[in-house]
Amino acid sequence: MSDEKEHASSGVEPGDTSKRVGMEVIRERGVDPEELREKLVDAIGAEFTTYYYYTNLRMHLAGEEDYKEITEDARLEDRAHFELVVPRVYELEGSLPNDIREFADRASCPDAEVPTPMDDDGGFDTEDLEVEDILEVLLEAERCAIRTWSEICDMTRGADPRTYDMAQRILNEEIDHEAWFIELLSKERDGEINPAGHFARGEPGDAPYSTNNRFNDSA
Amino acid sequence: MTRRANATWTVTVVVPDESSLDAAGETVELEVAEHETILAAARSAGVWLPADCQQGWCITCAARLVEGDVVHPSARRYDDGDREAGFVLTCTAKPRADTTVVVDQYDDLLEHRADRGKPPGNAKLGD
Ligand code: FES
Ligand SMILES: [Fe+2]
Ligand SMILES: [Fe+2]
Repeated sequence: MSDEKEHASSGVEPGDTSKRVGMEVIRERGVDPEELREKLVDAIGAEFTTYYYYTNLRMHLAGEEDYKEITEDARLEDRAHFELVVPRVYELEGSLPNDIREFADRASCPDAEVPTPMDDDGGFDTEDLEVEDILEVLLEAERCAIRTWSEICDMTRGADPRTYDMAQRILNEEIDHEAWFIELLSKERDGEINPAGHFARGEPGDAPYSTNNRFNDSA
Repeated sequence: MTRRANATWTVTVVVPDESSLDAAGETVELEVAEHETILAAARSAGVWLPADCQQGWCITCAARLVEGDVVHPSARRYDDGDREAGFVLTCTAKPRADTTVVVDQYDDLLEHRADRGKPPGNAKLGD
């Protein structure tokens, strides 16, 4: 009891800058803000690695301009997701790892590598690289992101409206992305028509939900 | 152990008392088909087990194998060190025998990975 009181937001003394009411209100509502924050670092680690890997994936969709464009939208939106949540990590008294390898290692979704081995000269062996294989990597990456942001919605629902708002904006876009790659993969691999129900973004990587909270114009 | 005609196995899921899951302290028996994962079978039976990526990468779904046999055909980051220490990833683990697992073992697997200098333990628990 006395322990709980110590952590209560009402227990933060006037002028005390060693504690954040913005964190204590979350704790009072039953969510551990430190645990949530570390989960956010893992999640934006995945957004960041995906942004990197999609650069390679989209390049290797050689000659498929429409696929490249859609992949570019998904790629830029993953960067927007990273940018959207970074400030939240700091608000929760966390930080990005100093070492980018650490950041990549803890990413909550798998590396979305180009699905082909390297050749003897250190380049990609593209001999047997198929468009449908790239589309499948993209699809599975989106599915992982949907699961992650749904988890974060679950963790924060009713306890942390600020993180919840971010997670649900991102989730909206991840579900768009899955629909895009289901449409493209079913057409490419199975000759099936499975409409996504939407069109490419107005501007590349528009991020219609997640950049509503734009904190700088280049993000 | 005899393999049944319809290739389903009984998977006994033990949820530790100290777990924060709703099913803490319970032991649940599931019939899991050969092509099905333990996680999917549990969730469709209304038993909520932890998971995130569901691609055998993040280790949120870690469990310990007490008895039986599972395979991880599609796990993206699961190695012999995990297997030898008795860890399984329920999101990708498919039974190959009647099996018992203790779930909610994320912290332990994280530490085990850190001890071996492997991700994500190295990154999350490293100095
Ligand atoms: S949920 Fe990520 S490894 Fe199983
Ligand atoms: Fe994303
Ligand atoms: Fe995405």
